[in-house]
This record gives sequence, structure tokens and C-alpha cells, in this order.
Amino acid sequence: MEQFEAIVQGTNFTGLDWGIVVVYLGLSVAIGIIANRYIGNMTDYVVAGRGVRTALSVATLTGTELGLVTVMYNAQVGYLGGFAAFHIGLFAGAITFVVGLTGFIVADLRRHEVLTIPEFYGKRYSKGVRIYGALLLALGGIFCMGMYLNAGAKFIVGVTGLPMDGAMLNFVMVALLSLVLFYTVLGGMVSVILTDYIQFVVLSLGLVVTTGLTLYYISWGDIVSVVIAEKGESAYNPLGEEGPFGATYMLWMAFMGLVVCAIWPTSVARALACDSERTVRRQFMFGSLSFLIRTIIPFFWGIAAFAVIMTIPELKDAFHPGEETANGVDSLFAMPVFLGRILPVGIIGLVTAAMIAAFMSTHDSYLLCWSTVLTNDVVVPLAGRKLSQRAQIYITRAFIIAIGLTILMISFFFPLKQSLWDFMSMTAALYFCGAFALLIAGLYWKRASSGGAYFALTAGFFAFLGFEDFRRVIFYNVLPISDGSADGLMALATSANVGLTTVALACIGMVIGSFLFPDKTGHNFQENNP
Amino acid sequence: MSFWMTLWKWLMIVSIGSFSVMALWVTVQGARDIKALLQSLRAGHEQSGENTKE
Repeated sequence: MEQFEAIVQGTNFTGLDWGIVVVYLGLSVAIGIIANRYIGNMTDYVVAGRGVRTALSVATLTGTELGLVTVMYNAQVGYLGGFAAFHIGLFAGAITFVVGLTGFIVADLRRHEVLTIPEFYGKRYSKGVRIYGALLLALGGIFCMGMYLNAGAKFIVGVTGLPMDGAMLNFVMVALLSLVLFYTVLGGMVSVILTDYIQFVVLSLGLVVTTGLTLYYISWGDIVSVVIAEKGESAYNPLGEEGPFGATYMLWMAFMGLVVCAIWPTSVARALACDSERTVRRQFMFGSLSFLIRTIIPFFWGIAAFAVIMTIPELKDAFHPGEETANGVDSLFAMPVFLGRILPVGIIGLVTAAMIAAFMSTHDSYLLCWSTVLTNDVVVPLAGRKLSQRAQIYITRAFIIAIGLTILMISFFFPLKQSLWDFMSMTAALYFCGAFALLIAGLYWKRASSGGAYFALTAGFFAFLGFEDFRRVIFYNVLPISDGSADGLMALATSANVGLTTVALACIGMVIGSFLFPDKTGHNFQENNP
Repeated sequence: MSFWMTLWKWLMIVSIGSFSVMALWVTVQGARDIKALLQSLRAGHEQSGENTKE
């Protein structure tokens, strides 16, 4: 801890920078109050009256999917994997562009004028699938979001030089969450979109300026030299045998590229808020640049942080101590510590405001998304009577607060034992593996049935094997196999392998279930579509 | 290795360059879109208010 304290004391963060941050946060609160005046019904609250045009939709898509946690875990991936990590960004950008060009999934969903993905399940499959799918979506989404607060607080502590004790970290988490809850509860999607726009402007400026200053501080050539010296060819070649990636991982990342833009509920919510299918397509074509940038720039910051840390003895000792010493500082801190040292006064305040902007724009959208799903697709169908628009908005607000408290508890108490990215992808896989099968089959295969949908959704639970502790218990204590065989299974069960297997199981489940249990009414889209 | 180095270097240059242009466009056009969104929400409320009166 003392070693960490000494490292973060090197930050350039001053009172002026705190002033910039406070002004920005005040602006966000004011927007929440103003936006509240524009909320008349549930459609206004959830999809901003479906009146969002192209440029604003790109801003809100970027604001939502480029969160502080994204910057943190991507910087960690760049720090650990080097330039080879860029393949993830290339896939994400290219696939999002193709989705926009073809309208694959997103434009077709927009055509059905649903508020949420589970609502589509209800129209295409059955009420039971809608409720089951909604619960899995919320469960996976809320757990996935569980570590966001923690990562956000670590960034702020790392960049500002605040004391790294548990109390301060907890205080920062509570303060950030309270602010987001305030304006999201008040203004719903209108508030989210308005703040997303401002956050986009601040964030874009912060990303470009910081990258320029990074290259001013340490040249491209110097970064390349250090990275090659320390990591060898695997720092560039994602297929390199000694690197952390490989062909299976790349395939998994290509699939994740599709998931993040076209299956993940918060991205889809942006498509559903657009004023037309044409806007949806343009949103994703332009937005593909944001999906590219949200990985490439943080990767680069992480790589630059690695190059600087390896050339400053005190930092190198802290992050990469010898084998005989204690564990090094968490690599999640590398990027914020690096930025805290290279960014000048004033700019560091702007960049921190930009990162807090990224944090808030992700949290507000996610909170709104999960709470809307629980209201619209669990409470309303189970209520058995029509709930008034006002009642639905109140219930959604109550869910926003409840989910906020839940993620706060997860951030306080969950002991994260794997990389942040692995934790997030596996918790999210609980939802998206089944959702992938349901959306694709529901939109493009007439024989898909409710029986197949239940099979596919349930297959998502296989993703739990992605958690190291869980599969350790299963392989060593539950399965009747030798320790040697368990060792082999442990080595085989990487997050990429588990993820791809879960997707395959969900698709197989959908096909088999649809043939074994066809819907009695056949393709029941029209019957359930009011 | 030179293939990968060149690829990643140009990917970064092109992506940051094109993102900067897009960010400028979104900043200008997005402000106009906000105005239109708020006007449409306000118009929707006025219309629903008139319908309620009728």
C-alpha cells in the first residue's frame, strides 16, 4: 500500500483540475432536472419518444458503449497484450459497419417498434419466453455491471492521487453512483441522451488530446522499441504462439464484436430510439468508428503506460516486482498512474471530466436499460392488468435505485480473482449466448419455437464455467474424474473456448427444441403481435 | 513482424483521423438534433393534452 501511495503522489492533478471536474458534474445534474420536464409517458422515458436523429444517435451510442470501465479494461488488455490487441478493435469496427450497412438484427428489430429485446421475445415466441429472457438479461447485465463502479473509482484514485484506502475508494463509488442515479431517475432516456451528447463532446476531445500528449511525452519509436524488447513478436502478432491471444481468441473476439453492437441491450436500445430504420443503419455505420476508437485508443494508452513503466525503475519495481517479493500493483492502475504523470495541469482535469463522463454515460444507460426490462417485461406481463404510464415510470425508477444499490454491494464485496474483461464477458455471456440464438432465429427462421427458445436461453448457464473458481469446483469436486484429467479440462476451459461452446450449445438447443416442440400455432409472430 | 507493425500503425492513424472528423460533425449536427428532439417531445405533449381535453 505504501508503495502504491508513493506512485500516485506523482500525479499532476491540482485544485484547478478538481474545479473543472466539479463544473462538469454540476452541468450533468442540471440536465437531469431540465429533462424531467419533457417526460410525459413511458415511451418518452424509455426511448425518448423515438425521435432521435442520426448525429445525436451516434453521440448517444458512443457515450453508452465507450465507458470508463471500457477504457480501463482495454488499457489493461493493451498493457498486457501489446499492439496485437488491436485486432479486437479492427473486428469491432468492421462488424459494426457491416451491421449498419445491412441492418442485420438492429434495423429488423426497430421495424417491430418494441421497447426492449424481451418484448420482441414476447411477440415472436411467448409470454413465458419474454419473462424468462428478461430475467436472464437483467441478471447477466447487472452482474456484468457489478465491477464498473470499482474500476471507475480506481481510475479516479489513480489519476487524482487520492488516498488508496478502502474508505476513500468506497466514498468515490457512492458519490459517482448517487450522481448518476439522480439524473437518470429524474429524466430517463431524454436525460440520458442529453448528457450523452455533452459527454460525447468532452470525451472525444479528451481522447484525441490525450493521445496527442502521450505521443509528445513518449515517441512512437520509443514505445515500439520497449515493447519489442520486453514482449518480442507476440506484442504485434495476435496469432503468435507465445502471446495471450491466438486463433480461437480472435474468433471469440469477432463474435464479441457482433454481440456488443447488435445483441447487447444498451446498443439495441439506441437503435430502438431512432426515428427510422434508415437512421439506425446510418447510426451503426458512423458508430463503427466509435467501436473502433473505444478499443484502439485505450489499448494504445495501456501500451504507452507499459513502455513508460518499464523505463522508470520505481514504477517497474512496483508493477513488476521480482519473484521473491510480494505481488505487484494491479495492472488496472497502470494507465491512470501513467496519465496522472504525463498530462499537464488543466488538461488532466479535462481528461478526468471526460472519463467521469464516460463512466456516467454508461451507467445511466445501463441502469435505465435493466430497469426498463424488469418493468416492461417482468412486472407488466405478471401484473395481469394494464398498469398506467405513471405507475410504470415509478416502478422503473424504483428498479433503477434498487439496481444501483445492488451493483454498489457487488463492487464493495465481490472478490475479483480474474481479469476484469474475463469477468465481464462471462457474466454477460449468461444473457447474450441465448439472446443471439433467439434474435437470429426469431428474425430469420420461421420454424423457431418457444420450446427452442427455452433451450437456448438455458444453455447460457454453461457460461458459468468461464469463472475459474466455479469450474475448479466442478472439475475437481463434482465430476468423477482424476486430478490429471481435471487439470487438462482446466487448461482447455479458457474464456474463449467456454464462450464459443456456450454459443454453439444455445444454437443447437434452439434448433433441436424447435423441431421437438414446435409452436402449435406455427409461426406465431402475427398472433402475438397486437 | 513488419506486416503487423505497419497494419497496426496505419489502423491507429486512420481511425483517430476519421474519428476526429466524425466527432466534429456529431458535435455540430447533434446540437441541432437535440433542438428537434425537444421540439418533437413538446409537440407530442401538447397534442396529447388537446386530445385529453376533447
